[in-house]
Amino acid sequence: MITFSGLLTAARTLSYYSRRQEITANNLANVNTAGFKADRLVAHALGDYASPVPVEATDLRQGALRMTGRPLDVGLEGAGFLVAESPGGERLIRGGSLKLDGTGQLITSDGLPVLGTQGSIIITGSTIDIAPDGTVTSDGHVVDRLRIVAPEQGVALLKEGAGRFVAGDTAEAPDTQIRQGQLEEANIDSIGGMVSLVEIQRAYAASVTVLRTMDGVLGSITSDVARV
Amino acid sequence: MNPALRTSASGMVAQQRLIDVIANNLANVNTTAFKRSRATFEDVLYETLQGESLVNYQSNESVAPIQVGKGTRVANVLRFHQQGTLQETGRPFDLAIEGDGFFHVQRPDGSAGFTRDGSFTISSTGALVTGAGYLVQPGVTIPPDAADVTISPNGVISVRSGDNAANPVEIGRIELVRFANPTGLESLGENLYRETVASGQPLTGQPQEAGFGRIVQGNLEGSNVEIVTEMTDMIAAQRAYEINAKAIRATDEMMQSTNDLVR
Repeated sequence: MITFSGLLTAARTLSYYSRRQEITANNLANVNTAGFKADRLVAHALGDYASPVPVEATDLRQGALRMTGRPLDVGLEGAGFLVAESPGGERLIRGGSLKLDGTGQLITSDGLPVLGTQGSIIITGSTIDIAPDGTVTSDGHVVDRLRIVAPEQGVALLKEGAGRFVAGDTAEAPDTQIRQGQLEEANIDSIGGMVSLVEIQRAYAASVTVLRTMDGVLGSITSDVARV
Repeated sequence: MNPALRTSASGMVAQQRLIDVIANNLANVNTTAFKRSRATFEDVLYETLQGESLVNYQSNESVAPIQVGKGTRVANVLRFHQQGTLQETGRPFDLAIEGDGFFHVQRPDGSAGFTRDGSFTISSTGALVTGAGYLVQPGVTIPPDAADVTISPNGVISVRSGDNAANPVEIGRIELVRFANPTGLESLGENLYRETVASGQPLTGQPQEAGFGRIVQGNLEGSNVEIVTEMTDMIAAQRAYEINAKAIRATDEMMQSTNDLVR
């Protein structure tokens, strides 16, 4: 039954490469999304498994910071995140284009309150200054300090869309600095992404050829061997 | 259908939207007090294909969950309310605001509109109106024999008229309006904005008061569009569009080789 297991391996390879293609397409679609972190799918030989297991990892490396001059654009430098309050609990965000709502509350671009050490932050003055350590000042008065946290070692980050991450346990991240008036660009290497596209496509085509060859072999076994 | 196709298509749609916004900014580079906008994007829903799983019971080895994203979408089109450069015109009824604030005008249906375009004129009845003929609030009537109209940085309007040429007489005052969140204002065209729940209530005050800008007579505020920034953003958007188009072609060719499996 060796031949059948070979067919299965080839089929698994095909599904691995189409998964990689989906992930690469998503990375490239988000090439202009501020704070986006690229995903990677790699095959790992884990445990006693005969065929490699696909493992996904989010690349959390720093994206380039770009000046925008908008006071509520906030970029992060370092491994930390800001904290936003969603109906499902606290979520981590890599800064972004923040806004104020009608009451002066600091919110994310999709309306979730951004949290400081004392809860949500309400700006009543006409100016807003955010220091690198997260201290928010309005008209010369300190309002609050933005919470900057990082997931604990070994805790996986789950993406939720809209730039939000779900993490279990978090700890303060004092090394991370906030850059007001800047946005963090997606950490996508678009040349690498294009190379991946070619590579995935060719590897996929090669696996299709392997499958067809095996099918040919199986065909001759079933038709020719039986004739003996 | 391969989901990667739709993911890449969402990327193309998003870049198209970015080009639309940039084109509008560039078209308004010479519009008085125009404020540029920028489209921002966010990633969309992730599908978790396989939860966190244990692969080896002896060593307690596990693999992280596999999540596949479904592309991007426009999160917001944000308006940048930065100051535009002042351009001298010498017309007495051209007013620019240097700093925060909007002029308050009355639209024909009676509702309030807010603008930073101070290219005002005088109506047939002597009222101060915008270029489109909307009344500036609070209403000011310029006497027909006014020879010289002066508007001070704090908004006081004084005129010198024929029989009282030496002493200027104060006839009214320009007021300004401020919002907690000007980005939340809704644009109505004609350089007018309208308050929304997101912008907050208008706060009325006088020019040069705390938080309000000053009035500069004989000047107009230019747009805050920087052509170089827009052009570089446009190049980046165009390249991102191409990359997504290439990803669609690559996916298509993969689907083609799948179809070749059975001849």
